[in-house]
Amino acid sequence: MGDNALTRRRRRELIIGAVLLVALAVLPLPISSVYLRGLIVLTLLYAGLSQGWNILGGYCGQISLGHALYFGVGAYTSTMLYVNLGVPPTLGMFAGGALAGLAALLVGWPCFRLSGHYYAIATLVVSQMFLLLVSNWNFVNASMGITIPFHTQSWLDLEFRTAVLPFHYVMLAYVAVVWIIAWFVEGSRWGFYWRAVKDDGAAASSLAVRIFPSKMAAAAISGAITGVGGALYAQYIGFVDPDSTLGLSLSVLIALPAVVGGVGTLWGPLLGAAVLIPVQQLSAAWLGGSGDGADLMIYGALIVVLALARPQGLVSLFGIRSQAGGGVVDRA
Amino acid sequence: MRKIARGALPAVALLGGMLGAFAMVMPVAAAPPDVVIGAIFPLSGNAAAIGHDAQMALDTEADIINGHDNVPMLLGKGGGLPGLGGAKIKLVFADSQNNPQIARSEAERLITEDHVVAIIGSYTSATAVTISQLCERYEIPYISADNSAPSLSQQGLQWFFRTSPTDVDFSKAMFAFFASIGKQTGRPVHSIAIIHENSVFGTSSATVQEALAKAAGIKVLADISYQANSPSLSVEAERLRAANADVVMPSSYTSDAILLVRSMHDVGYTPKAIVAQDAGFVDPNFYTAVGPLGNDAMSRSSFAIDATKARPAIPQVNALFQARDHKDLNDLTGRELTALQVLADAINRAKSTNNTALQAALRATDIPGDQTIMPWSGIKFDSTGQNIEGTPVIQQHQNGVWHTVYPLDVATAPAVWNVGK
Amino acid sequence: MTTGLIIQVVLGGLLMGFVYALVAAGLSLIFGLMNVVNFAHGELLMLAMYGTYVIHENLHLDPLVQLPLIAVVMFGVGVAIYRLLIARALDVQFNTGMVQIFVTFGLGIFLVGAAQLTFGSDFRSISNGFLSNQTFMLGPVILPMSQVLAGLVCLLAFGVLALISRTEFGRALEATREDRDAVALIGIDRNRVFSIGWGIGAAAVGIAGVMLASFYYISPTVGDNFALIAYVTVALGGFGSLLGALIAGLLVGVVEALTALVIDPSLKQIGIFAIYVVVLMFRPRGLLGRL
Repeated sequence: MGDNALTRRRRRELIIGAVLLVALAVLPLPISSVYLRGLIVLTLLYAGLSQGWNILGGYCGQISLGHALYFGVGAYTSTMLYVNLGVPPTLGMFAGGALAGLAALLVGWPCFRLSGHYYAIATLVVSQMFLLLVSNWNFVNASMGITIPFHTQSWLDLEFRTAVLPFHYVMLAYVAVVWIIAWFVEGSRWGFYWRAVKDDGAAASSLAVRIFPSKMAAAAISGAITGVGGALYAQYIGFVDPDSTLGLSLSVLIALPAVVGGVGTLWGPLLGAAVLIPVQQLSAAWLGGSGDGADLMIYGALIVVLALARPQGLVSLFGIRSQAGGGVVDRA
Repeated sequence: MRKIARGALPAVALLGGMLGAFAMVMPVAAAPPDVVIGAIFPLSGNAAAIGHDAQMALDTEADIINGHDNVPMLLGKGGGLPGLGGAKIKLVFADSQNNPQIARSEAERLITEDHVVAIIGSYTSATAVTISQLCERYEIPYISADNSAPSLSQQGLQWFFRTSPTDVDFSKAMFAFFASIGKQTGRPVHSIAIIHENSVFGTSSATVQEALAKAAGIKVLADISYQANSPSLSVEAERLRAANADVVMPSSYTSDAILLVRSMHDVGYTPKAIVAQDAGFVDPNFYTAVGPLGNDAMSRSSFAIDATKARPAIPQVNALFQARDHKDLNDLTGRELTALQVLADAINRAKSTNNTALQAALRATDIPGDQTIMPWSGIKFDSTGQNIEGTPVIQQHQNGVWHTVYPLDVATAPAVWNVGK
Repeated sequence: MTTGLIIQVVLGGLLMGFVYALVAAGLSLIFGLMNVVNFAHGELLMLAMYGTYVIHENLHLDPLVQLPLIAVVMFGVGVAIYRLLIARALDVQFNTGMVQIFVTFGLGIFLVGAAQLTFGSDFRSISNGFLSNQTFMLGPVILPMSQVLAGLVCLLAFGVLALISRTEFGRALEATREDRDAVALIGIDRNRVFSIGWGIGAAAVGIAGVMLASFYYISPTVGDNFALIAYVTVALGGFGSLLGALIAGLLVGVVEALTALVIDPSLKQIGIFAIYVVVLMFRPRGLLGRL
């Protein structure tokens, strides 16, 4: 691909992104259903989270099954700051993001020496370990969790009583910023390094790509994005506890939209979230009331079928390919 | 141009996906005279068995109110709610998946799509927090049927009403029982060993028990916290054996209760007495699983199936429940069923489904105990929305049958008491 | 803390360790063969436990008697999963590693839902098995018969796995592992070897399931209680190493028990994870992992 074609493609992505942003901004206006508006808010949140995961898991090829750790760090940090010190979450989320990025560096430091499945399982174990520690840590109220009390409506505190629309714009802003970051890094020198690392670690090192620092950079960005998302989630739900903000199922839910939509692509996480989150929530709403497990069967089968039928992700339906080439897991 | 069109496709699909999801959800139209009540329980996941039973219990009570079973209790005559011209109760169930976020969004769906007048829930404390906080924002009553964490009624909420006693009430009853049985038999409790899962339920229960023991001058020889659903509880059992306290006080759900009792047996330890914080120790599956090892286990309960003299409605309600769920009513299902009865009574007295009228009616609730199936002195809420008349009982599982052993005025059998022997 | 107590706890940990090791062995075998981590491994364990329960309830066959039957059925389940899903996932030209992770993940969720639909969500258990509630005295130490037997059976199953690896089929496994394309030239059908590998892996976890069912409770999500430990065990021992799985399983069992005894039961998994992290710092491919 020539330089010209490349810049043309990237400019086109920006234009589409802007159109999509406007479309998503007006999307909830004709919708009167509060539940559906809430569903879209969640979809946007997971689109952003998964876009963040994609930077490490997709572009850099390090399959993390422990992103709930960064999510939880962000959620707990902003909540503790807000509840104990009165720091507004609009500031607290940056503290949460920073700590989460730091946590990602701390996890990355030992784990990036592991390859393939060893890395995936290590991330899973470390996040599970953190879950156990928080569950026993009285300073953060251990397994009891922290309730965020509702005082008054305020943009500064991201408190809107029953209104969902403001949160729609908060989450949309989050997705937009994360998308811009992804767009930027995709075209940056880091993006080039990551693709090299992912395609062939050995070749990349012979190309004098400093593998370790480039992985660490991906981890920090990815972790920080996830942490900010966690802080926003805490404010939206009004409650954090270890199981729901640090659990394995959350780690999977953060990764899945990117996997289903298309790993290592700019649009994959958005598309994946748009399909997956509504299916998950609606199947629970329709079938969950019967309590017979049918919703889990549908959700599980959907993941299997999509992963097998569209290994490149749903974006491949539109002729989009990952910016990186073949296998994602480096062969162990 | 074609290329641009191709690139724009995902954007269109993204919108399409969301709009498609939107089009698929149709508001559920309720027949106008029905009073729609939401119920959120864990219907899938690890606590699904409990959620299923809750569903059966609420359905049973709704049928009693709507039907013509003529049960001797409040609203037992049937024929709907007289205060609303015979309007029928309609229940809408939702699955929390035992996840606070899902519980919240399902509560929002019930309130805004199904226009429920109130929500009943929710078994686990974490889901109760998010549901009750959301109900507060929408100004819709949340009736806590079976959440026993004391902190829930201390959130300063105006729309939170808990018919069930809390772990504080329950634990107080246990220590009152210790004092009473000590006096009665001359073999008092000198020491206890607490074992609890490290969840909201287990931790809050253990904290209360420790404080009460201190106040009563009873030694706490062990306070063991474990992680729920562990592959093994052998070491925990070993520590209990080493402590060898007069009474073992577990706060465990069914899975761990089964494993714990089996493990105690496996390490050769037979506790002198087990006095449990309900949960797993009242689940029939637990007794099937442990067989004779469950003999003479005691548990606090807010329901006494054998109190048929004082609560004449029990046999009939139990038969109706059995027809659905093929098991007897227990502490949880009894509380769930009663929560709906209390809510229905408030709606009936409010003569309206208007939220503030309903809130006022709930606050004015004053139901004598014999109008329910519970052994409580009654139902009356304090300013935090907590029922202050939900006096619990202590029951013992003697040869496969539950007998109430405390308080003595409702007891149906003397306690088998091996402490001090 | 008496010596007797410590011996008792260590022995109990070892017995549990044998079960962990056998669960992990199936996972390790499959990984070593085709670089696939089965994230539905806990659910296979759950299936075997329900199978044991259903047969026990209906035909009153003791779990011990059912061992060969469940092993054979689980072998079939393993082969079916390979043929229906994994073979396809391996044929995928793109994102192979990620596809297989999420295919097995989805399968796990599906199986939990299916179990809930079929058996309901009540906790089941086998309470009147041949060895239920029997204990066994060894000096000052008391051990439950069901767990002693579970440990022995799992050790035996390990022996069988070791024997298999010495047969001609074992060498075919080994060759396929070394170079999956070259083996075709010497007339080894890769798909056949892989599906038998899955069969054996599932049979191993099936045997562990039968033994667990004789003393543990059964529910749709029971697999979760063992799955995480299985992944840790495999990574600790080294993917693909049978002996590694055995050593790591025993280590995990003992460390778990000792952490619970010495530190705090609610932190016992932290003990396991800490050992795992420390070992991986020095041996990124586990104790006995190959490079």
